[in-house]
Amino acid sequence: MPSPDRMPDTEPSGWLDRRFPVTGFLRREYVAFPMPRNLNTLWSFGAFLIVTMTFMIASGLFLAINYTPDITQAFASVETIDRQIPSGWFIRSLHMGGVTMLFACLYIHLGRGLWYGSYKAPRELLWLTGLGLMLMIMVTAFAGYVLPWGQMSYWGATVVLNAVHAIPLIGHPLSELLLGGETLGNIALHRLFVLHFTMAFAILGVIALHVAALHVVKSNNPTGIDPTSPAQTLPFHPYYTSRDGFALCLFLMVYAGLVFFLPGLLTLADNYIQANPLITPRDIRPEWYFAPFYAILRAAPSRLGGLILATGSLAVLFALPWLDRSSIRPATRRPLVRLSLPLAFASFILLGVAGMHPPTEAWLIVSRVAMAWWFIHFLLVMPLASEREIPS
Amino acid sequence: MTRWTRPLLLAASLTALPAAASTPAQRGLMVFQQVCAACHGMEHVDYGDMSALGLSPDDIRKWAADQELPDGVDDNGDPKTRHATPSDPMLSPYPNAAVGRLANHGLLPPDLSRLALTLPGGADEIRRILLSYAPPPPGVKLDEGRYYNTALKWKHIGMPPPLQDGMLTYPDGTRATSAQMASDVSAFLNWVAHPHQTERRRIGLYVLVYLALMAFLTFLLQRRVWTSRR
Amino acid sequence: MAQSETPPSPDGTKRRDLLATGTLVLGCAGACALSVPFLNSLKNPAATPLSDNTLEVDLSTLTPGQNMTVQWRDWPIFIQRRTSQMLAALQGPAHIATLRDADSKILQQPKDATNWHRSVRPEYGVLVGICTHLGCVPTFEKPGSAPEAKGGYFCPCHGSHFDAAGRVVQRAPAPYNLPVPPVTFLSDTKIRIGHSAGDPGFSMSDIQQI
Repeated sequence: MPSPDRMPDTEPSGWLDRRFPVTGFLRREYVAFPMPRNLNTLWSFGAFLIVTMTFMIASGLFLAINYTPDITQAFASVETIDRQIPSGWFIRSLHMGGVTMLFACLYIHLGRGLWYGSYKAPRELLWLTGLGLMLMIMVTAFAGYVLPWGQMSYWGATVVLNAVHAIPLIGHPLSELLLGGETLGNIALHRLFVLHFTMAFAILGVIALHVAALHVVKSNNPTGIDPTSPAQTLPFHPYYTSRDGFALCLFLMVYAGLVFFLPGLLTLADNYIQANPLITPRDIRPEWYFAPFYAILRAAPSRLGGLILATGSLAVLFALPWLDRSSIRPATRRPLVRLSLPLAFASFILLGVAGMHPPTEAWLIVSRVAMAWWFIHFLLVMPLASEREIPS
Repeated sequence: MTRWTRPLLLAASLTALPAAASTPAQRGLMVFQQVCAACHGMEHVDYGDMSALGLSPDDIRKWAADQELPDGVDDNGDPKTRHATPSDPMLSPYPNAAVGRLANHGLLPPDLSRLALTLPGGADEIRRILLSYAPPPPGVKLDEGRYYNTALKWKHIGMPPPLQDGMLTYPDGTRATSAQMASDVSAFLNWVAHPHQTERRRIGLYVLVYLALMAFLTFLLQRRVWTSRR
Repeated sequence: MAQSETPPSPDGTKRRDLLATGTLVLGCAGACALSVPFLNSLKNPAATPLSDNTLEVDLSTLTPGQNMTVQWRDWPIFIQRRTSQMLAALQGPAHIATLRDADSKILQQPKDATNWHRSVRPEYGVLVGICTHLGCVPTFEKPGSAPEAKGGYFCPCHGSHFDAAGRVVQRAPAPYNLPVPPVTFLSDTKIRIGHSAGDPGFSMSDIQQI
């Protein structure tokens, strides 16, 4: 039923806007949206994450078309994608390279939030949805890694599922829910496939929440002081669209370099051997993005202890908005945090390096020291600094 | 064939040297067909994939037809076989792993689809193994069906020395010495283990050039936008 | 590069527009190019010609009035052995008047089956058992099993009727007669489906519709 309105129906945006105000929404949230004037390149990583996630979903859908979640055929179906499906090698490489790019951006995005105090009021929900996304992506990445049913898929999954067994009380029921039995088999593979597929879209939903939360509280900035007047802001378009566009091109060049010229880095060679429950590969390693947590798991002398510490290393991030009571956001203005946080970053990287090496005595010590600093930083330095620190 | 490989193949055929000449991978295919295929398969590779090496469709069809595949049962319920077609995989000559082990002193000849990728050392290591057979030194006693090979950690291997000088004749006149054949077949296995590598790099170059151009344009755009602000 | 202070400057505006439009167009072109490998992957990787696909069938167990189904090229192939009553019924003028294409004018069969019985030999009929309406498999009405059953075919999906020679009845929704595959008699009781000695150039891809 047409009703008189300011905009005539002949104007396409007027017709649409009266029925569904999408152009108005886009103009408000993505064109005129006020951004701080002083954001640096680290603020582009959120855009990279969205783009990479789009690539992951698109390539994942096309891989799923040709993939068979059955332990007798999974490996062969992935080989068929790599060899015989037209452009299949490209789509698969895009997906495998996407995981690396996704985690790299995720960790940098997270590190930026830590450094500039983006988790503090009023951005706690933004922080928590972001951490939730990271956990979801980790679960999805783990499930996805099992799907090709290569040696690394199988033994990586075995190790993780035995870790799940170590959880008191719920460990066994949980792994049975996941596996449909005691060991990794057909039922488990099928469930992990469904989990991987479903989680991908659940992640999209949480990304929507994350972005919605961002548009309520607006972006933090390197000074940590929110703009108070329109003169201190710039519209999102064209200022940050053009800047993100340029940064995105550079980012995609790295991504393309990985996909087209360094396919050997995308996964471990042993994963091109079909899963064999009778032989564990001699050189079993996690993918780099899980290596820090793997190192923590190994650094603890007990199985349950390792699990608690690995979970705790993430849990402290969830608690951070309440551990750090200081009202000053960026680490640059906090003398104590300015020293301690880079050390925590270094600990994370060291743990990653340790996780990729065989567990010799030296690497175990490195892992333990790095892990200790991670917890000291979040559980001791942050609360203490909130009280004692004199801002510079 | 993808739309990318077609021009690639066309270009390859235009630049191809006279019929007599060939690339190492092409000669390696010959070694595989006449030597390796007696015991090894490449179960993830189709006969048709060999067209990317320049094998003609007719040759592929003829080669594939040498293999018999199970094909259900006939009207009397007896198992039937059919000739393989170009879209069938290059299976191991043994019908199953048990027969393969039985025929080889308990060791199953490995599948070669990805060997050059999964074997530490890759294609070079394959070449080294093929050329490192030697008579066992005095005092060394090997089990039956094991051969002395210095390339391996434990100095023995289940594969009998596969290559002998002049055991086949290359159509391009290259002398078929053991060293030559070992190089050729490892080049071939490297090609098999890294499918679409040439294509991957070629397209990657185009993509990088495109992205560099886009980066240049967005850089100009960005600079203009941000300069006009001041 | 000359910079204009204010966007409304005609020179500056024009230059920025060209740059912005160019970047946008090139970006969209890149996105389109990216979709090519994705669509490409949906193509059938094993598009091999099926022309050399033949099937030999032994007819010695087929009794008059019986119908058997074999599979050729993923299609159900009906082979029927006709009784003299079935053959007579095919030629009845009253029956012929009810048919859409009684003389097989539409190319649905090889030349050697373009006749009143739509087969190489009258006593054997070979048909592709796919209804030309929407592709269901018709059922055989064994002569004598019901008063109206004369050895024709009835499609359960939308009620199309075909006579024993696969000719469609006018009041049915199916537009064409059932296709006849190329058939060669190797002996009195053995046929080869997939090659027609009477029409060697015939290909199933030439017919009007499966």
